[in-house]
Amino acid sequence: MPRRRALLAGGLSLAAIGPAGAQPSGAWLDTLMQRLSEIPSRRADFTEQKRIAALAQPLASRGRLIYVRPAQLEKITDAPRAERLIVDGDRLSLSTGGGAARVLSLAASPLVAALVEGVRATLAGDLAGLRRLYVIAAVGGLAGWRLILTPARPPLTRVLRSVTINGAGTDIRAIAVEQTNGDRQLMTITPSS
Amino acid sequence: MTLRRGLALPAALAGAGLLLALSLHMVTVRSDVAAFLPAGRTPAARVMLQQLRNGPATSLILLGIEGAPPAVLARISRDMTALLGRSGAFSLVENGERALAGPDARFLFRHRYLLSPATTTAAFTTASLHRDFKRLRADLASDAAPLVEQYGLADPPGAFLNLAQIWVGSSPVRVAGGVWFAPHRNRALLLARIRANGLDLVAEGRAVGAIQAAFARADPGPARLLLSGPAVFARDAAHAIRRDVRFISIVSTLLIVALLLWRFRSPLVVAAIAVPILLSISAASLAVQAAFGFVHGIALGFGITMLGVTVDYPVLLIGHRKRGEPAPATLRRIGAAFTLAVATASLGLTGMLFSGVPGLAQLGLFAVVGVLAAAAATRWLLPPLIVLADLAPVSAGEPERLLRIERLRRWRLWGLLPVAAAAAYLLAVGGPRFETDLANLSPVPARARTLDAALRAELGAPDVGQVVLLRGADPEAVLRREAAVLPILHRLRVHGVIGGAEIAARYLPSAAVQRARQAAIPPADVLARRIARAQAGLGFRANAFALFLADAEAARVMAPVTLADMTAPVIAARLQPLLFRAGKNWFGLVLPRGVTDPGRLAAAFRGVAGASEVDVGRETGAIVARSTARAGRWLAIGAAAALAVLAAGLRDVRRVARVLAPIAAAALVTLAVLTALGERLSLVHIVSLQFVAGVGLDYALFFARRQLDAEERARTLRTLATCNAMTLLTFGLLGFCRTPLLRQMGVTVAMGALAAVLFGFLVVGPRPSAA
Repeated sequence: MPRRRALLAGGLSLAAIGPAGAQPSGAWLDTLMQRLSEIPSRRADFTEQKRIAALAQPLASRGRLIYVRPAQLEKITDAPRAERLIVDGDRLSLSTGGGAARVLSLAASPLVAALVEGVRATLAGDLAGLRRLYVIAAVGGLAGWRLILTPARPPLTRVLRSVTINGAGTDIRAIAVEQTNGDRQLMTITPSS
Repeated sequence: MTLRRGLALPAALAGAGLLLALSLHMVTVRSDVAAFLPAGRTPAARVMLQQLRNGPATSLILLGIEGAPPAVLARISRDMTALLGRSGAFSLVENGERALAGPDARFLFRHRYLLSPATTTAAFTTASLHRDFKRLRADLASDAAPLVEQYGLADPPGAFLNLAQIWVGSSPVRVAGGVWFAPHRNRALLLARIRANGLDLVAEGRAVGAIQAAFARADPGPARLLLSGPAVFARDAAHAIRRDVRFISIVSTLLIVALLLWRFRSPLVVAAIAVPILLSISAASLAVQAAFGFVHGIALGFGITMLGVTVDYPVLLIGHRKRGEPAPATLRRIGAAFTLAVATASLGLTGMLFSGVPGLAQLGLFAVVGVLAAAAATRWLLPPLIVLADLAPVSAGEPERLLRIERLRRWRLWGLLPVAAAAAYLLAVGGPRFETDLANLSPVPARARTLDAALRAELGAPDVGQVVLLRGADPEAVLRREAAVLPILHRLRVHGVIGGAEIAARYLPSAAVQRARQAAIPPADVLARRIARAQAGLGFRANAFALFLADAEAARVMAPVTLADMTAPVIAARLQPLLFRAGKNWFGLVLPRGVTDPGRLAAAFRGVAGASEVDVGRETGAIVARSTARAGRWLAIGAAAALAVLAAGLRDVRRVARVLAPIAAAALVTLAVLTALGERLSLVHIVSLQFVAGVGLDYALFFARRQLDAEERARTLRTLATCNAMTLLTFGLLGFCRTPLLRQMGVTVAMGALAAVLFGFLVVGPRPSAA
């Protein structure tokens, strides 16, 4: 456990030094968040690669994302199996195939809550919301940026290593999640026309 | 001589005051509800009532927050939970945020295969594991993957999920904004358990204070905080009693002193009258302390008020004294009536003394000892003091005016009218209505009890109505008995007799059951082979279920979980009231919910070894009935004794009848008025009426004295008017009390005493002379 902390801290400081050498990150990050917060809703297509520690092979899926300000996020998976995940406020409902939706409070699973909040707060341009959960390192500039979100405190630090969001302007291009158990998932996003 | 005359009274007063301060310092005052109410009839009922009054159930506080939008309520709920958790006064603060998380979830997860009924031989077969693995594989591909990984991979048979449902499932609460809400209204709910036990009023007061402070600090805006639970009741009752007692003692003392000053125009008289009162309160508190080991706040407060009527004794003595008369002469004139009055007043308290309700018994003892002490002090201590200070009424009153008043007796037959009306009314409505609910004897106001029932229902906290107690020598013996009862409960639920039941064995199975579950888990090498076969072709890595294998093997050989292991906060709080020790035995409490057929429920447990069914409502009803019957019997005995004393003292049947008539009339009219006011007659009213009878006799005996000269008649009339005014003042004041019991007594006695003095004046006094 202490070793993991040290590693994390090392990674963080590196990330922090990187952008500082290029240009001061504070100014463009605020601008970026401001611009993100002005977009009322958006739709996008995604493809996702999941590597789950317990499974021998990675899993691939694709579908659509819908976001409506301020707090509604929908992830509709079309293949290989139809699934619909809706987050509204702090309620999360998940329906698979034709089955009835399972509804649970985000508070029930800190990990799921943190993942949802990481994406939702970024889309909403809610920097304060992100900072409640994460330490933020920002790399790049408005034209091409990367936010590395590291959990700020336990119990999240125990299960989640990082959430990395890549983007250009107000477009979000990719979201990568790395868990402490070795699970990784990478979602690649293309805005739908 | 002048020095002695000037100093004797103040010195006696100071001495009596000092003695009172000393004795009040020596007694222990308690104001909890438990100490006031009677114990049960059967051993099981006694255990149950004891548990309800000072078991772990009494440390529970139910909180509701309402009057603001749901989001605001949720935020207040979260802020309060954090603040209260830090305060250290509570062993548990729950608002639904982490209903089963932290240490509780960890404990249940570690012991899932021993505690969960999902641990069966069938669950560990290759076929069953294959089905579980397939489901897990599908879920891992979904967005619920993090949840599946957290619990699923280490527990394919779902023992933990099953356990979590058992722990969380039975509550009707709704979760909104991450916290508990009432199912059908906008009210956030919280539960807190005080660290101190249910009898520690100081700690309870501090805990309730901490809750109110936390609410204020949580920036509530327009929101309101609702508080309930035994601890809150106890604190509120103690507050109300203390407030009532202070209010009555100050106001009634001031009023009585003012009245006496106006009547006698001498502070010395007031000082003389105070001496027997102070002495009687000391004697009474010490006697109750010696007999019961403590003095209940209600007994003390109300007892002092009741002793207010013993002010009558010195007033009767001084009021009847002619200026310059030696004490023996005054005593000779009133001695017989005085002795009879004291004897009958004491006998009038027997119903209270032997009611079997500890609080009322204390009150009875307090009053009897107080009355006797005040009478003794009046009889033997006061006369020399009075004569020394030459205390007497300013004037006996104008005989002319007296005659005018006495002429009113010519219309005494009209006095029959209210009596006849009262009798007719009571006959018409079928007699007074009687109270059977013990709850109405308790110092907790009805409104608070209604709120408590509402919060309890919304939180799914068991409302204790019909329960089953299972007895055993140790927790394991109780849990084994409960294991045998589980199928009965299941059958009752299937047949719709009950909606469900809280029972310890669902949370903590007996060691025997746990060992049977251990036997259902295959040894590690067998399980490893089955896992390998079951996961073939599903795409899992070879070691995907390593944690499951290790945990199952650990569970197979670990020592069974005992009550002593169940220390995580939510778990301990849930189990504590369900499995407890009382005396030498251990008891398991089965709390059925939604009982539709009490008769069938009772029948189902008849003949079950070590089980006793207790209907708390019926039990308390029976206790009230028994106490009322006992009070009634002793009332009759007391009345018979008083009658015998009267007969012996008056030696004239007609005079005895004349003395008793106004009392019967007063009781009848009071009963009718109480019934017309919609009051249900309880033990309290009955003992109050008996008290009225004692006071009424007092008046009647003095009216009935052979008093030939007009001056003496005037003295009696004025003195009795003073006495009656004092009684009305003190008991009328009780009518303004917040404690229901004191209010009922006050109204009954004030009304009865007024009726008694009026009827006494009309009926008992001599017929006015023909002129």
